[in-house]
Amino acid sequence: MFAYVVKRLISGVLVVTLVSMAIFLLFWYGPSSPAQPICDRETSNRCTPARLDTYERTLGYDNPVYVEYGKFVEGIFVGRTITIASSEYECGAPCLGVSFRTKQPVKEELVSRIPATFSIAIGGAFLYLLFGVPIGVAAAKRRGSVADKALVSSFLFISSIPYYLFALLTWLYLTITFEVPLFSDTGYFPITQDGPFKWFSGMFLAWVALGIFGCTQYTRFTRGAMVEALSEDYIRTAKAKGLPTRTIVYKHGLRAALVPVVTIFGIDFGTLLAGTIFTERIFEIQGIGWWALEAVQGRDLPVVQATALFSAVILICSNLLVDVVYSVLDPRVRLS
Amino acid sequence: MSADTAGPETLGSLSTEPEHQDPNSQQAKEIAGKSPMRIALGRLAKDKIAVVCAVVVLFFIICAVFAGPISAAFGVSLETPLASERVDGLNQGLPKPEMGPPNGPFTMEHPMGVAPRTGEDNLAYWLYGCRVSLLIAATATLFASVVGVIVGLLAGFLGGAVDKMLSFFIDMFLTIPFLLAALTIAPIINDRFNLSDNYGTIQKTALIVVLSIFGWMGTARLIRGEVLALREREFVQAARVMGMPTRRILFKELLPNLAAPIIISISLMLPTFVALEAGLAFLGIGVTDGVSWGQTILKATNLTFFREYPQYLWQPLLGIVALVLSLNLLGDAVRDALDPKTRR
Repeated sequence: MFAYVVKRLISGVLVVTLVSMAIFLLFWYGPSSPAQPICDRETSNRCTPARLDTYERTLGYDNPVYVEYGKFVEGIFVGRTITIASSEYECGAPCLGVSFRTKQPVKEELVSRIPATFSIAIGGAFLYLLFGVPIGVAAAKRRGSVADKALVSSFLFISSIPYYLFALLTWLYLTITFEVPLFSDTGYFPITQDGPFKWFSGMFLAWVALGIFGCTQYTRFTRGAMVEALSEDYIRTAKAKGLPTRTIVYKHGLRAALVPVVTIFGIDFGTLLAGTIFTERIFEIQGIGWWALEAVQGRDLPVVQATALFSAVILICSNLLVDVVYSVLDPRVRLS
Repeated sequence: MSADTAGPETLGSLSTEPEHQDPNSQQAKEIAGKSPMRIALGRLAKDKIAVVCAVVVLFFIICAVFAGPISAAFGVSLETPLASERVDGLNQGLPKPEMGPPNGPFTMEHPMGVAPRTGEDNLAYWLYGCRVSLLIAATATLFASVVGVIVGLLAGFLGGAVDKMLSFFIDMFLTIPFLLAALTIAPIINDRFNLSDNYGTIQKTALIVVLSIFGWMGTARLIRGEVLALREREFVQAARVMGMPTRRILFKELLPNLAAPIIISISLMLPTFVALEAGLAFLGIGVTDGVSWGQTILKATNLTFFREYPQYLWQPLLGIVALVLSLNLLGDAVRDALDPKTRR
């Protein structure tokens, strides 16, 4: 067990290093000059070659790439001072750079955006399970009936529509056209400032949209896993003993069926955290995805770089966690 | 079943068989000459949903391929003479009544109306948007499949260190979602090429590259698994014993046996890419310089336009939904037809 966790940890660290290198190189060699956006911004689009040169030199773009990558990594662990033209900016411990637009350390704004994104992910994921698992169990119990078939095909239909269009239509019609009271004001309102009700009502529509859309997948997984579990021999034994159906389905069947569902849930939660871009954009929730989009429009390369790195790390960590949890739940995994 | 009811032509071949044949095995004899692909096609043709979806997909393909002639036949084009001739600047830039909805009746001149503010013809933009969507999705699917099949073949067949390394890359790429990659690359492409004359083409190429780079892993995994099973089969071992070079084994012996998983992975990729292309354009990080359904949707979600002119939003939206939905359902039917055990 311990050896397995260590092995997974090492490969996780390796992937994080490789991904951070790839992202760094991309932002180094990708743009015609990495300093062009800030130069354009600071000189209000009158960026002369001489000025561009000043920006490039102070930002360190005339050094070899590996030296700068070293500084970048050093900045993440101990912090650094970043010079842009003639001004110096202090960038504390996990330094991810300084925003071209606000000149604030990227990390601080990233941290301030996390609660909004987390709120979406937690609420959405909760509804995935709340809707998905019971419906899946109910369908598996009535396997082959008209209700089951109708459910399976209607869920296939919903999940075949692109998510963002589904979310867009929910928002446009429920919030804008019909102004349904509970959904009338979507967005992120911090609990500490506006109170829990405002926070809840701002998020509610996003959760419902995510939940309805995402639960189709969970229903399918749960149904499949339950159908399989209910055809096992020990279920037949339980039936033969005369156990009540409720006990058979929930205690013996569901427990076995939940293992794969938990795995997929872990991966999905990571994806949710890293990729709520559509949800944030449509429901006007100003989380990390929204911020990344703003940064793309404002050519704020350090912010884009930081969000990409952050999301990749979150995903890698959640995959790692799922693997470890799975190996605890199912010992066959770590033996292979 | 008695001998009288069976036709004379089956009598001869069945004469050595016992009289009481069960109908299933007789049926099995009749279709014995068909290849697995033909059996699958036969199953598909009987599936009503699959046929309807195939027709819908075909309709979109025709729209995409003949976007030019069709728009010429309706007398519409991507070019707009002068926006002020078509839209009413005083009325929030909404189309003038004589241009059709929302303020006027349907006109043959602009069958789907014109866009607010810019006065672009909706039908022409819809047709060319369909072309862009399918072109990007199909090209990316092609590239991603080729890469995925090659990686999967190599990893599965060679095994050992090669397999370990390739599997590591598959896992690594799987941790990075499309959306994130596209988001990261968009500002870089913008920064490097935004002054270039063919910025639109570069954007589309970049999009295809991103979709391919982050789309091949599923196929690679699927193919690797199949190859792992196939390489222990007798015909592959026979080929090895005969001294067939590895490349020939891979492409002559293994590849033809991988038709089903390749078709399955294509059927999964196409609708995903169509949806992603439009989704990225909607976020403003895909095709921003040119025609795309996603971009039209982005413009149409402007709240004044949406309140006054919802049809402008619904036209591209229904296009995407119908295309993605029918591609998905068709793909589902194809998967069922190729492997009927999975579902029932």
